Parts: sequence; structure tokens; C-alpha cells
Amino acid sequence: MHAGLLESYQPRRSPVHRLATQTKLVAALALIFCVVSIPKGWDRMGWTVFDGTALLLVMTAARSRLSAAFLLRRLLLLEPFVLGVAALSFWQPHGWTVFWHAVARSTLCLATLVLLAATTPFSEIVRVLRTWRVPALLLTTLTLMDRYLFVLIEETGRMQRARASRTFVVRSRWAVWRTLAETLGELFVRSTERAGRIYAAMCARGWETSEPPVG
Amino acid sequence: MHIPDGFLDLKTSVAADVLSAGALALALRDARRTLSPRRVPLLGLAAAFVFAGQMLNFPVAGGTSGHLVGSVLTAALLGPGAAVIALTAVLVVQCFVFADGGVLALGANVFNMGVVGALVGYALYRTVHRQLGGGLRGAVAAAAFASWVSTVLAAVCCAGMLAVSGTVPWQVAFPAMAGVHMLIGVGEALITALVLVSVGQAHPELLHAPARTGEERTGYRTLMGYGLIAAAGLALFLSPFASKSPDGLDRVAETRGFATSAQHFWAVHTPFAEYVMPGVRSASLATALAGLFGTVVVFFLARWASRLLLPTE
Amino acid sequence: MPAALEVRDLSFRYDGGRATLSGVSFTVQPGECVGLLGPNGAGKSTLLLHLNGILPERLPARSEPAVLVDGLPLAPANLPAVRQRVGLMFQQSDDQLFCPTVWEDVAFGPRQLGLRGDALGQRVRACLERVNLDGFEHRRPHQLSQGEKRRVCLAGVLACEPGVLVLDEPTSDLDPRGRREFKLLLRGIPATRIIATHDLELVVELCPRSLLLDGGELVADGPTVELLSDEALMLAHGLEKPHILQHRHPHAA
Repeated sequence: MHAGLLESYQPRRSPVHRLATQTKLVAALALIFCVVSIPKGWDRMGWTVFDGTALLLVMTAARSRLSAAFLLRRLLLLEPFVLGVAALSFWQPHGWTVFWHAVARSTLCLATLVLLAATTPFSEIVRVLRTWRVPALLLTTLTLMDRYLFVLIEETGRMQRARASRTFVVRSRWAVWRTLAETLGELFVRSTERAGRIYAAMCARGWETSEPPVG
Repeated sequence: MHIPDGFLDLKTSVAADVLSAGALALALRDARRTLSPRRVPLLGLAAAFVFAGQMLNFPVAGGTSGHLVGSVLTAALLGPGAAVIALTAVLVVQCFVFADGGVLALGANVFNMGVVGALVGYALYRTVHRQLGGGLRGAVAAAAFASWVSTVLAAVCCAGMLAVSGTVPWQVAFPAMAGVHMLIGVGEALITALVLVSVGQAHPELLHAPARTGEERTGYRTLMGYGLIAAAGLALFLSPFASKSPDGLDRVAETRGFATSAQHFWAVHTPFAEYVMPGVRSASLATALAGLFGTVVVFFLARWASRLLLPTE
Repeated sequence: MPAALEVRDLSFRYDGGRATLSGVSFTVQPGECVGLLGPNGAGKSTLLLHLNGILPERLPARSEPAVLVDGLPLAPANLPAVRQRVGLMFQQSDDQLFCPTVWEDVAFGPRQLGLRGDALGQRVRACLERVNLDGFEHRRPHQLSQGEKRRVCLAGVLACEPGVLVLDEPTSDLDPRGRREFKLLLRGIPATRIIATHDLELVVELCPRSLLLDGGELVADGPTVELLSDEALMLAHGLEKPHILQHRHPHAA
């Protein structure tokens, strides 16, 4: 996971941002479903659908008031992996067709997700999932994860800086691994302690333990 | 190993979605029954921990770096059901917030990382742990071994999914994925072992031990359910390549009339298709042999490393 | 009229640890503002967690209840009622703000109390106004400053309309302005307040009475100025006489 991928939601005043989350989510899912369900042999039709989807995405992106550079950067961050795996498809008959098909399909799906994430906060998606009757325990887990992700990432950064500021010699790779693993272990211990404090805070504000609290 | 949308065809994605939804439902039901309320917030925090942990880069060589996936580690720390829930949450956030891994392919990713990685990995971890006579040293060796095996198995499963979808031929996908992940797995095993040593030495009470906390013991039927789902998935995604029988999913599609006119386009490039690059077939065989050999070597390496890491116990 | 809070001979030890609290007893009358002092590790936070039944997780079946809130003994059956009466604000605001947005966090408590729709919205708005954070509804906790986080925490606690407000180190990570603002807020709240803190000037200004805890035992209970002016007592328990009292006679207040 690349650090540059953080901060994906971009608040703007645009018609795309204003659109109901449920609509956006359903539209994104439908679009991805369509693109994925196009079989490889549908040359003409398939490419027509691909072109149509691409056009739709570009139009949506244009109305979202997000900078093209931002969207492209996010897309390009994930594209190398797509190309890498797709390159494996050369080793077969009609390799080129399969390659372009896979690249087109996944790039379109990727662009859809990038656009969705940039215009919709994750907490809104969780809210829609709740109306879709997703089990409460999973929603609680998602909500807490969304809330504490950055807190933990920052905590990791602080722990690493604290170590680095008192490290004066170039260490072997093995030592680096050990200290990184110790950082991770410490992070887990702190996460459990923090979970305990959150539990106490939930109880203090009247959480009855019968149902999962947030989400 | 986050599969984006577009690499898997519809039948494979949907089949994986169904299997993973089943595993997740079992895990959630299990958690509702056995998870103490005090540990409910821990699921979310553990998910955030896995995510943050995946961002920590371990230098490998020549400027490259690797990172933890954390399936077996999470299962060893939280137990199998909680690990599936936490890993699913990680994948959902990565998909909807960071576009890393697809939506339709979410089930496939949960299957590889949660069902194969955490559940199969956990089963291995427990079994080996018991065989080694328990203790922290046994846990570290078992977790390292289970991490390696489950990483490779998840990669093989991923290759199977790509091949069943007709995106990458099995003869290419299998050696490439398995080969690369036999190396990545070593890193995963080492990080898992090191983290377990660090947590286990300072806070032994944080390691998941079902025998000690009887209230969180997973029910027999839930375990059976996990096993069935894992077996069904492995059969669907791998068996077409293990034997000459036609692809199970395609057969389902045929009998259900699921794929009608476009049917022949859905057909998988079967492992024994005619146009095979020379030498590719033997690569598969070599990979399989390397995998078997690697499993034995890694087992002894894991035991040796655990003694090295924990000289006194 | 029953005491707002009564603690009788409360003892507690964490699993396998040494006693964190032993034989603590005190009474707080409605409307009082009491400071809880003591060095690090004295058991202040542990005591506060007991006040709304978070510790021990399973309340022991003992004949004499150790904690009474509004005359209501702390027992499993009374937990919801007690937790509504006692609002607990924790030391780490990040751990108390566990919801994705400010609005949801303030709404968490009232929602557990069964409030929905307009009534819920009004309650949340009123509480945010009270801590001078109107317009912050859709902010995310990690975008807030320390002082703002603290005030959201306070709003979240006030939203449950507790009769007793229990605060653990409310000003520990605030800058002087944040501290001043928070102090003004606390002064304006009519509820019974118990404030555990190392901020002795805050105690002098807000709390006429103080409790001193050390090693899990209640070593002193009396008027704040008297307690804090007793230099021998302060030094013996890891505290010191605050500057604002340096030139004041213990009985001048």
C-alpha cells in the first residue's frame, strides 16, 4: 500500500459530490458489473461498451470539479500492477486480445472506484451499507477502522521517528527487520489497549452490550 | 495480491463472492456468540493495525521492499473468526477508499487472504503448534510455517482464479504466482515470527489461546463450515488444473443455462490446450516440485529460526 | 435528599496486580465540585472507572454496595441508570471520540438512551452550542485541534444529561487558551463535578473541596486551599503547592 494513496476523499461542491451516496454506489457497482460481464469474444460490442463507459466516466469526472491530475495520479499509482499481471496473459493464443481486454476492463473498473472514493466519504458508504442490512458487527468494525486508521498510521510514524532519533549507527538489514517487527508488535499491543479504552468510553455513554454500537 | 476488478470473469468473481460471504457470515455468527463485548472494539482496531502494518516497508535487497499481509498473524492473535472479519474490513476499506482491489473481486480477495490465508493458515498453525508441544517457541515456528504455506497456497489459488477466468493461462499463472510467492512467503513468515516473538515475550496473554479463554472457543460446526467453504473454493479454482476434468464452474454455468450464446467465449483455456509455449508445461511441474521441497525446508527453517529467536524457554 | 455520590470502603485490584484501591470512602453532595488529586499511579483513573461501573467488569456479589449514585447502588441491574447519571470523560480524547463525525459522536449517548429524529438533532445541536462548537457537526475527529477534541468529548458527555460529571485530566494536553476556555465551560455547568487532575490551579479555581489519593488510599479530604497549602502533605504525595497559593494564607480563603 502506497502512502501517497492516503487522503482519497476530496471535498468539493459539485453535482457529483451532492448526489446521494446510495445512487453513486449502485451506479458504480452496476458499471463495474457491466464491464466485468463482457466476455472476451464480444469484440465490437465489447469495445463499444468500453468506449461508452469511458466516456461516461470522463463526463462524470469533468463535472466533479476534481483536478484531472489528481485522478490520473491515483489511477497511475495502481496501474503498474494491472499491467504487470495483464502481461502474463501474452503467453497464450490471441494474447494481445486478452491483454487489451483485461487492461481495459480493469482500468475502467479502477477509474470507477477512484472516482467513487474521491467524491464519497467512506462513512457515507458505511451508512448506505447499514440500510442494506449488512451485519452490525461488520459495520462497527468498518467504522472503527475508518476512524482509527490514521491515528494508528501516525502512531507508527511517531514510534519510528523515536527509534530513528536514537539510532546512531548503520545497522544490518537483520537488525532493521527486528526493530520494524518490534514496532509492529508494540503497535498491536497499543491497539489492544486503545480498544480497551474505547470499550470503556462506549460503556460510559450507555452502550448496552447487546448490540454492536456504531456503524 | 489484491486482485482488481476486470481480471476475473463474472462466474469466478460471483463464485468467490458467494463463498466468502458464507465464510464471513459464519465468522460473524461465531463472533456474536462467543466474542466477549470487551473485544468488539478490538476487531476494528485490529483491522486498522493490519492496514497500518501493511504500510510498513521491510527492506529486502537492491532498494526493493516487502510488507506484511498479516493473515496468519491476525489469526494467531485474534482467533480465526475474528481474523476473517478484520481482514474483510481491511479489504473493504482498501477497495472503497483506496481503490486497491476490486469490488466484484472483493470476494476473491477475501477468499485468498481470509479463507485461505487466515482460516487454512490458522488450521495449520494450530496443528503444527500442538505437534511441536506448544509454548511460545512452538507458536512462533508454527506461525512462520503456516504463514509461508498459506501465502503460497493463496497465490496458487489466485493463479487458479485468473486461469479459470481465462485471463492468464494456468501454465503461466501457476509458476509465476507460486514462484514469486515462495520468496514473498519467506518474508511474510519471518515478519510474522518476529512480531509474535515481540508480542509473545512482552504480553503472552495477548496471543489467542482457545484453551485458556473457553468462552471464545469456536464451535465444532463453525469449524466444519469453514473447512467446507475452503475445500469448495480450492476445488472450484484449482481442481480444473489438477485433473483433466472440465472446469466445475463452466459445468455449473452450462447446466444452469447461465452462459448461453456467449458460452464458448467463457470457456477456460484448459491446462492441456494445444498452443502452449515450449517449456511452460515443465515449468508447472518444476514449480510444484519446488513447492513440495520448499514446504519441507521451510518447516525445518521455521523450527531452527524459532530456537534462534527464543534461545531459552 | 441522597448524596449525589457515595463511595464506601471501595477496594480493587487488577488481575494478579497489587491493590490499586484500598478502603476508599467519601461522599459528594449534589452540585459540589470536587478535585481529585494524587501522583501518577495513585489510582485516580481506576477510581473514576468505578464510578460508573466499568470496573470491575463483573461486579462482585457483595452484600454492601461500594458505590451509590443518587442513592442507587451500583449493581448489574442498575448499570444503565447509573451510567446515564454519571457522565465520564476520559483522559485520551482520541479514544473517546470513536465515531466518524462530530455529530455522530455527540449523538452516540442520547441514541443509546432511545432518542431519535428531531429530538436527537436538537439535543446534539444544543450540546455543541454549549461548548461553542456549532457548525462542527460534519467535521471528522482527526481534523480537530486538541482543544476542540476535548470540547466535543464534553458535548458527548453532556448530551446524556448526567447529574454527575466525572472528568479525568480534562486539561492535560491543552494550551493556555484552550485551558482557559475549558475552565470557563466547566464553571458554567450546574452538575455535580469530580475532576481528577494535576492542574492544581484549575482545582483552586473550580473546586472548593479536594480529595487526595496516593497508593490507592484516600489520604486527605478537605477544603482545597487548606490541602494545597499544606506543603508537607503536598511534597509527601508527589505534588507541590501551586503558585497562586504561594502568597496566600491557608485560612484567608
